[in-house]
Amino acid sequence: MSENNIKIQRNLWENPWGYIESFFIGIGLIITGLFLEVFSTSNNVFTLSYPYNVIFLIGYIVVLFVLYKWFTNSQIIRWLTKVPASISSIVLVTVLVMIMGIIPQIPSENKIINNLGLNHITSNWAFLLILFQFLTCLGLISIKRILQFKWSNFGFVLNHTGLFLALTAGVLGTGDLQRLSINVYEGKPSWVATDQQKKEIELPFAFFLKDFLIDEYNPKLALVDNKTGSIAHNDGKNLYLVEKGETYYFNNFEVKIDNFLSNAIRFGMRYEAVNEIGSPPAAKVTVKNIENDSIKTAWISSGSFRYPYESLKISKEYSVVMTIPEVKKFSSDIDILTKEGERISTVLEVNKPFKYKGWKIYQLSYDDKMGKWSNLSVLELVKDPWLPLIYIGIFMMIAGAIYMFWMGNKITKNQE
Amino acid sequence: MTWIDFPLYSSIIVILWFIGLVFLLISYKKQAVLKIANLLFVSGWAVMILFVVKLWIELDRPPMRTLGETRLWYATFLPLIGFVTFIRWKYKWFLAYSFIMASMFLAINYLNPETYSKTLMPALQSPWFIPHVLVYLFSYAVLAASSIVAIKGWFDSYKGNFNIETLKLADNLVYIGFAFLTLGLLFGALWAKEAWGHYWTWDPKEVWAFLTWMGYLIYIHYRYFHAQKSKQALTILALAFVVLLVCWFGVNYLPVANTSVHTYTQY
Ligand code: HEM
Repeated sequence: MSENNIKIQRNLWENPWGYIESFFIGIGLIITGLFLEVFSTSNNVFTLSYPYNVIFLIGYIVVLFVLYKWFTNSQIIRWLTKVPASISSIVLVTVLVMIMGIIPQIPSENKIINNLGLNHITSNWAFLLILFQFLTCLGLISIKRILQFKWSNFGFVLNHTGLFLALTAGVLGTGDLQRLSINVYEGKPSWVATDQQKKEIELPFAFFLKDFLIDEYNPKLALVDNKTGSIAHNDGKNLYLVEKGETYYFNNFEVKIDNFLSNAIRFGMRYEAVNEIGSPPAAKVTVKNIENDSIKTAWISSGSFRYPYESLKISKEYSVVMTIPEVKKFSSDIDILTKEGERISTVLEVNKPFKYKGWKIYQLSYDDKMGKWSNLSVLELVKDPWLPLIYIGIFMMIAGAIYMFWMGNKITKNQE
Repeated sequence: MTWIDFPLYSSIIVILWFIGLVFLLISYKKQAVLKIANLLFVSGWAVMILFVVKLWIELDRPPMRTLGETRLWYATFLPLIGFVTFIRWKYKWFLAYSFIMASMFLAINYLNPETYSKTLMPALQSPWFIPHVLVYLFSYAVLAASSIVAIKGWFDSYKGNFNIETLKLADNLVYIGFAFLTLGLLFGALWAKEAWGHYWTWDPKEVWAFLTWMGYLIYIHYRYFHAQKSKQALTILALAFVVLLVCWFGVNYLPVANTSVHTYTQY
């Protein structure tokens, strides 16, 4: 269908617009956007919040619909529903995102980067304008294929409309997104959270932390260079887990772990298991030098915020140390208390947020200096009222991708 | 933790699959032996499932806590996706790829027993982790294959005997690979939402993953609109693959690398 257009000699801006005109318009949009960046005085990021974003979305879709229905014959609408306009906007969005992939998106010293706003691409006018063209193309062709009402357009609609929904809802939704964090201490209720601007916000409910729990992996055994203090085995990768009864080999040393205690403190010559805040893991190791059969036995320990670590020097060059245990899992056993006197119990864990009254509550972090004795748990609360729309878009695209995998492409099939 | 019977099980599986691969190779000449190859693949896979079930029961939790355990899942699901793709598209090399990759993951676990217990940070302990990595593994493989086809296309047109069939093969591979790429991107977004509360943060790795996706999007639309312009299409395909390679290997070397949370050197 398209090949004919291109073979016919035509002048610039003559019907129908092709790639040159498309890039002309697209680059024009970008330059306009960059001018806006340079000359706009306000530093506020352009965002719409409820109800303006909803009005905008509905208005946008209605306008797209009207444009498609009654203005199809106009040059610009014909252009917007054809591939050149799409490809040029896809390419230009790609170029701007590529800038984002090269220039770090953090405050910059560089004048040019600062003035053109190249360190905040996602809120840059140039990006917003070209994204607007991108979405307009996507919206118009979605409407076109939806109105054609054919089964063969099924995959097309899933892909294009899904992307349209996910992106528009994502962009417009940022204005309504709330992200708060709250410090919750064991044994007392907390209801004052802080938002991203560090402003305090009182919640209509409180969190009561019953217990904060950390599950740790065993510490690992490492061979350390006495001079540099750095790990001298296996490039620091694949260290051995300390487990009672295991025997490991480092170069010409055989290290046997005679005993392991996950919470212990030193009593004279040995460590003993205790149940005390800040008691670090400790292990008794026997190190045999295979070359001369000399044997050394000692207790080593990872140390903690309360107790020093202990290593074992096994030769002039090397020592054996035990690393600080890594976290396997951390979770907060909490009650949510409402003003009405309700009490909801739940356990929060990484990757297992809890939904409550439009909020999603995430386990964020804890006092990492105290490690497993932390009685502070940091939670995050996210309210994202546009999420359902975004999810509809994402799941349409997932379905579209599966359709695409199964059906393959039309060009191949038509000519088979 | 040690998986006591793992060496036994994995040897049986890998031997079955290896013989299967040999038969698959023969089937290029003699179509009839394909059945034997498939039979061997399926029996190896059944042994695999048996082992996973045993391990799960023994651990009394889903085996998803350590690097070794995630590799085990790769080895379990790679053949499955390979089979589905093979049933639909009949690419034998792809079936071979999925079994070779799966065997490779088993071999890595076998050779590094200490990494059975290599720890996985809490954010990675998610049901999305494995599907996310798996679909990317497939996507990259298929898209790499499409680039090889593109190179052949370039070479042919240089010698003046370019055949449009070559480009059609590339198209089909791009469609399959792009579908997997989309799934990988979206699974990643859904997982990030579960773990951190936002689906997309424009982290450098995410930026380059997005660019890769856009690159192939351009190819797909260009091809649809200009079915005859093969040279340009081949060029776009080559460029898209360059972006993919940057995303895969290059992100660590860009000035933005130290702002990324995704630069684990291994998964
Ligand atoms: C999820 C991402 C996308 C996928 C999988 C996709 C896939 C496709 C496919 C397979 C076609 C061929 C049409 C057919 O076979 O019926 C097509 C056509 C088209 N696509 Fe996309 N596309 C995507 C995103 C986009 C975007 C972002 C735009 C615009 C900014 C766009 C604009 C177009 C246009 C204008 C056509 C031609 C429609 C027509 O002539 O009726 N697509 N797309």
